[in-house]
Amino acid sequence: MNFIDVALIPLLKIGVIVFGFAMLIGSMLTLAERKQSAYIQRRKGPNRAYLFRKDLRLNGLFHLIADGLKMLLKEDFVPHGANRKLHLLAPMLGLMPAMVIFAIVPFMDYACTGAMAAPIAGKDYCFPEELGALANAPLAELSNPLFNADLNHWFQVANIHSGLLYIFAVTGLAVYGSAIAGWASNSKFSLLGGLRASAQMISYEVSMGLSLAGILMIYGTLDVNELVREQGELLFGFLPQWGIVLQPLAFFLFLTASIAESKRAPFDMPEAESELVAGYFTEYSAMKFAVFSLGEFVTVVFIAAIVSTLFLGGWQVPWLYADGFHFTAASMPSAVAAQQLTVEAAQSALTANTNFAPDIALPYWLVVALRIGGFVTKVLLMCFLQLQFRWTVPRFRYDQIMHLGWKILLPLSIANLLITALVILLV
Amino acid sequence: MAAQTVTLERQKRGFWVQTYLPEIFKGMGVTLKHFFGAIAKPSENIVTVSYPEEQRPYPARYRGRHRLMVREDGQVRCVACMCCSTICPANCIHIEAAEHDDPSVEKYPETFVIDQLRCIVCGLCVEACPCDAIRMDTGVHCSPFIAEDTDDFNALEGELRARERAFYARDLLMEAGDHSRAVQGGRRSF
Amino acid sequence: MPKCKINGKSITVERGTTIIQAAAELGFDIPHFCYHPGLSVPANCRMCLVEVKGARKLLPACYTQVSDKMEVQTDSERVVQSRRAVLEFILVNHPVDCPICDQAGECKLQDYYMDYDTQESRLRTPKVSKVKVYPIGPEVVYDGERCILCTRCVRFCDEITGTNELTVVERGDRSEIRTFPGRELDNNYSMCTVDLCPVGALTSRDFRFKCRVWLLKSTDSICAGCSRGCSIHMEQHRSEVQRYRPRYNPEINDYWMCDAGRLSYKELHRDRMLKPLINGAAYTWPQVAEKGAALLRESIDALGEEGADKVGFVFSPQSSCEGLYMARRFAEEALGCTRHYVGGRPHGDQDDFLIQRDKNPNRNGLLLQFPRGQRPQPFEQLLADMESGQIKILYMMGSEVPVEGAQAERFRELLRELDLFVLQAPRGDGLDELARVILPASTHAEQRGTYINCDGVAQQTREAFKPLGSSLPDWQIAMKLAARLGAPLTTTFIAKLQEEMWEAMKANAQPAPEAPEAETTEADDDAPEEAAAP
Repeated sequence: MNFIDVALIPLLKIGVIVFGFAMLIGSMLTLAERKQSAYIQRRKGPNRAYLFRKDLRLNGLFHLIADGLKMLLKEDFVPHGANRKLHLLAPMLGLMPAMVIFAIVPFMDYACTGAMAAPIAGKDYCFPEELGALANAPLAELSNPLFNADLNHWFQVANIHSGLLYIFAVTGLAVYGSAIAGWASNSKFSLLGGLRASAQMISYEVSMGLSLAGILMIYGTLDVNELVREQGELLFGFLPQWGIVLQPLAFFLFLTASIAESKRAPFDMPEAESELVAGYFTEYSAMKFAVFSLGEFVTVVFIAAIVSTLFLGGWQVPWLYADGFHFTAASMPSAVAAQQLTVEAAQSALTANTNFAPDIALPYWLVVALRIGGFVTKVLLMCFLQLQFRWTVPRFRYDQIMHLGWKILLPLSIANLLITALVILLV
Repeated sequence: MAAQTVTLERQKRGFWVQTYLPEIFKGMGVTLKHFFGAIAKPSENIVTVSYPEEQRPYPARYRGRHRLMVREDGQVRCVACMCCSTICPANCIHIEAAEHDDPSVEKYPETFVIDQLRCIVCGLCVEACPCDAIRMDTGVHCSPFIAEDTDDFNALEGELRARERAFYARDLLMEAGDHSRAVQGGRRSF
Repeated sequence: MPKCKINGKSITVERGTTIIQAAAELGFDIPHFCYHPGLSVPANCRMCLVEVKGARKLLPACYTQVSDKMEVQTDSERVVQSRRAVLEFILVNHPVDCPICDQAGECKLQDYYMDYDTQESRLRTPKVSKVKVYPIGPEVVYDGERCILCTRCVRFCDEITGTNELTVVERGDRSEIRTFPGRELDNNYSMCTVDLCPVGALTSRDFRFKCRVWLLKSTDSICAGCSRGCSIHMEQHRSEVQRYRPRYNPEINDYWMCDAGRLSYKELHRDRMLKPLINGAAYTWPQVAEKGAALLRESIDALGEEGADKVGFVFSPQSSCEGLYMARRFAEEALGCTRHYVGGRPHGDQDDFLIQRDKNPNRNGLLLQFPRGQRPQPFEQLLADMESGQIKILYMMGSEVPVEGAQAERFRELLRELDLFVLQAPRGDGLDELARVILPASTHAEQRGTYINCDGVAQQTREAFKPLGSSLPDWQIAMKLAARLGAPLTTTFIAKLQEEMWEAMKANAQPAPEAPEAETTEADDDAPEEAAAP
């Protein structure tokens, strides 16, 4: 463990993932939302900002800079009687959980530096070049790929074994930002907004957690990357067993609950502008306000990332494995076979036997690129879907939100859990 | 005829409507259609008019330009009663009255300025005028910008100049006006 | 004490009360043109005719006295018909040139027409044309066609001023108001006829065509033209006073005011200093308070131990009691100054009606700020003290000086020799060129303030519009500077300040109860509004 391994690479990962991915997409979403809503409403949307030349407008792209500059230059206003420290703390607490969550989002499987990785029953394995003592070990023992993967080969800031719990832990923190903002502003609108936010987020966290329990039971792991790897297996020999395929109901439940968690329309009661001005951030201006709205958009990205990871196969591209495309399960060793194979036998079988050759062979770097690209595409698609959703569905009434959360989503997720358990028990 | 009462049945919401999901998908379908329609064929599907580069054509009978009517001898008909500037919801009419040499005219507007850009073209000034001295006729207000390719353009003071240009003074307003035969004090004449 | 019934409501009134007065007391407004509570009653307009039970004809309400068991109907069908007829008759030859007419908006003929007539003229013959824009006096213009011959103006000149300039000439529909040959309407109160005129026949040359009356915003205030301090309506449009109108106050001016006072509103906007300056450079108030205070402190210290004794403070009787109270505390507590002088305008003409010799509105208020025996010295003493070099620093409120000619010139020369000259005034009047520190004060139109007139009646002015430019009321300036000089005057709200001020003034008036100032304590602040008048 040297300095590069311990500090530099993790920092680089944080920089790229949080600032180059989450924050970048988040800030682009501020413009995307305005543009998308404009197109939905048959308008042009913002397109006046220009740089250098009056006709250099790039269809409004510079509004990103203009908005940012505006926020920077505005007066930072703290209302009379506000708790100044908490008032300052709240936006940070609002943004922080949304950013921290990206620590466990896997952008790719761990990078294989050993021998050619090959899929066994839909999961890639990476063997060291020198098999050594491993050679006679049964393959089943190696199902956890950590044993030889270097920490820095993870396309993930932190490979936490209980990543799923980490998600719940951090989303639970998000409520503090809005609750404290509502309390610290010394304004009745803010306070009402803060209270609504707390109630709503706590309510929906329950069904959000329960809807994921099914996923957990099926794949049998809390490790987020392992969850994605499991989704690469082929159901009935041809269908990738993504979360959405195995748990369609849970997908809708989780999506609904997490949109409610992000406090965006149609669940934007905490900031319902027609009744609460702007809810818990009524009394915020300048960068503090910007941080709140950035937090909201980063939350959109994070929801997109989590939903893609858990239900849409994460970095999996359908039928793409480490050595190329396998369109049927027949072209790779089955799980049953893997139970009896030693590592050496498996390797030789994979490399020698043309039965297990990929349908379309691809170089490993291209697979990596495709997988990262696939994940980013899924995230963007989910972001788009969330924005579209926000501009389609009208806002719920507050009692309807509570009704939906406690009386519909919660029973449904419990039912989903029971049925899943029953099916697993029987099958 | 006595009023009739019609009892309308409240529309029943079926199971699928109540589940909300199909309706959401329908709604998403509508918005997606609009979204992709706007992207695919912006010229057809986007209705925004990018003022001032583009301008919506005004109807032929649009009356958007003020004019001050004149008397038979070519003098301004306005008696500076300030009714128009009082009624003006945009506060865009500025009048300074002065004593006229002719005691039968008595009062006339020494300055009469309409801020064309502030005017909201409501026509209340025409309604309010007791002397048929102001009318609105065919034409439109001036542009809020000075086009870049004209000699008038100056990047630094461009907008200021455009602003000044919008102040239509008495003589300019009178150029467009002509003689009115209306008799002061009502429709009847002696 | 006759008891009568008007429109079914009973009222008991003094003997000799007319129906119009009794009705006003009950809240019934009887339309009238020629009647005015301040003038005699000719009953010539016939607009106020009312129905009295038992009388065969309608009776003029302005002239008929209430008798016992009288039953009056002021709005019966017959009465309304009669009003309609009267209005039609008056309008036969009226030019109906309301758009041009200055009275439009406050014209009784217009109002009553809308209330009772609202019909087109049935006249088919040309209207009689009469004199237009006739200069009946230096301040008043007469329009014969608009005149309804109510003779209020004639009676005013007969009864109030006693100058008898006006009369009615010609007969029938050719009647007009004219001056007697060789005379013109040039008495000191001539513009009151403009107020009296119920239509636009008499218009003020000054206000003519300046502003439509419906745009004016009216504030109760006082005239600062002389120490009479007439109650007025101060009428402004867009922060510029357009005219003064007398406000009924039986204790001071009744319904009237003089022409000079009426035109004194021009002083409010003349030559105003709008920015605080030090050595010619403009500053914000916090800056100028700091720098000004430092300058004062340095200059006083530079004069040695007896420095404070060489500071002169000129109080202006133009300022309000609040301003003077704070200024005195500022002078004594912050500057330690004991040499107090009185400034203000020099004396002028006077008459036996309203115009006072003393042209300053608040001399009594100024004197009351000081205990007896410590009252400020006259301005001549200041000149003498400056001449002898006893004063090196002068803080002057108000730019008016009560000396004229050579003495005023001498004063300007002496100002040049001072170490420091601070001027706190609304106007420069040439003194601003000599002052190192200029503190722009606001006039009485822009602040709340108390003024005590020559008879010891205290009146409150209200804020007609916000202080112009960066100017501030005198009391706020004193507070700002005092805080920087380390002697903060604690008052922050004007109501609190006024409480303190009255306490101090009561105490100062105490030792000499027979002094006329003593009655200021009982004088009511809000003079009653014109009650019986329309």
